[in-house]
Amino acid sequence: MSMNFSEFKKLIGADPLNRDPEVLRARQSSAEFEAAASEAEAFEEKLQGALSIEPPADLLADIKAISQHPPKQRRWMPLALAASMLIAVGAAGLAWKQSHQWENVEVYVADHYSHDGSKLVALAGGAVPGEEVQKIMARLDAEADQQLLGRITFIKFCPTPDGRGAHMVVSTDQGPMTIIFMPETQVDDGDRVEFDQMHALLVSLEQGSAAIIGNQSQRLENLAPLVRESLKPGFVGA
Amino acid sequence: MMTDTERTRRFNELAEAYSTDLYRYAMWICGNDALAKDLVQETFLRAWRALDSLKDGGAAKSWLITILRREYARTFERKVPKFTDVENVVVIDDEELEPDAQAERAVLRKGVLKLEPKYRDPLLLQVVFGHSCAEISEQLGISKSAVMTQLFRAREKLKTQLQKDGVTGNVHELF
Repeated sequence: MSMNFSEFKKLIGADPLNRDPEVLRARQSSAEFEAAASEAEAFEEKLQGALSIEPPADLLADIKAISQHPPKQRRWMPLALAASMLIAVGAAGLAWKQSHQWENVEVYVADHYSHDGSKLVALAGGAVPGEEVQKIMARLDAEADQQLLGRITFIKFCPTPDGRGAHMVVSTDQGPMTIIFMPETQVDDGDRVEFDQMHALLVSLEQGSAAIIGNQSQRLENLAPLVRESLKPGFVGA
Repeated sequence: MMTDTERTRRFNELAEAYSTDLYRYAMWICGNDALAKDLVQETFLRAWRALDSLKDGGAAKSWLITILRREYARTFERKVPKFTDVENVVVIDDEELEPDAQAERAVLRKGVLKLEPKYRDPLLLQVVFGHSCAEISEQLGISKSAVMTQLFRAREKLKTQLQKDGVTGNVHELF
């Protein structure tokens, strides 16, 4: 029994490149079928073209670096699931660090921001829900207080010199600024970094440190008290 | 047990073979290029750790996709802001297209990002990775007929979006 047009359209709609003999026979059975198949193929070509994005130039090299600097094996202990996730996150951070060797924290800040900092500032939209921020912070064994929560317009995990941290964009009365939270990295409080018409202020925290980054017209020290007050150690395994 | 050299060679082969498609897949499920890159790197980090468990080289692609999907679910189990910075990513050959064709691609990209996961996921597996309906069925754990229905509907939604945006060209009349 031959395929009707409706069945044929559904088959090529699901798989425009379908080369099943039955589908090919149906396609050749009439001009109407042939036209439908040709148009499905034309649409597919457009769809494939639209989705064929180029990966970042450094992606492959970054991935290969994982094998060149593999994370050290840790002695496994029967920990609770939450704690084991923290170990996994820590190991991930170690690999990140080992695939990005920075001479010092100043070089790291400039390199990290130059990588995608301005793009993430442009991406940032409205305030990220506080609970989402706290979930990320909890995985870094930290928490952010209410003063900071309402200002965060973008947040994601990021590599730091000593494991994983958080990259945030915050709204201020001077415009958006970037904060890189480095929970395991110690800095000399008040040190400054200049790069690419940007500048950064390093701030020591109760746990780790942070880099406040802005353009040259922004007074970073205005944000420093808020950052010092707001980024605190949290509950392990939250 | 592989030697370190064999392990590295195998890992690098996987990276060369699949990192581009995994990045594309990650980009279209999370809608943000920086996050997509993070996701792919995490996927390969986990793959490196578990490489010895990959016994069948022919299953590598599905294995990596599974790792990426789990990583995506784990990382984004919370609700995250939906970023749609598709204008920022480099799309192959885009600049060589006529303005109408560029507009069509832009509508399609936005349309894919707007698709519900149940339509988007099988479509990406098919278009980005070249999976057959049977392979998608196995990867997603749903029936082949459900896969076909979702693929058909996904394309219908994209075609409808093209029509709404007035950049349908000549591909829609029979649909």
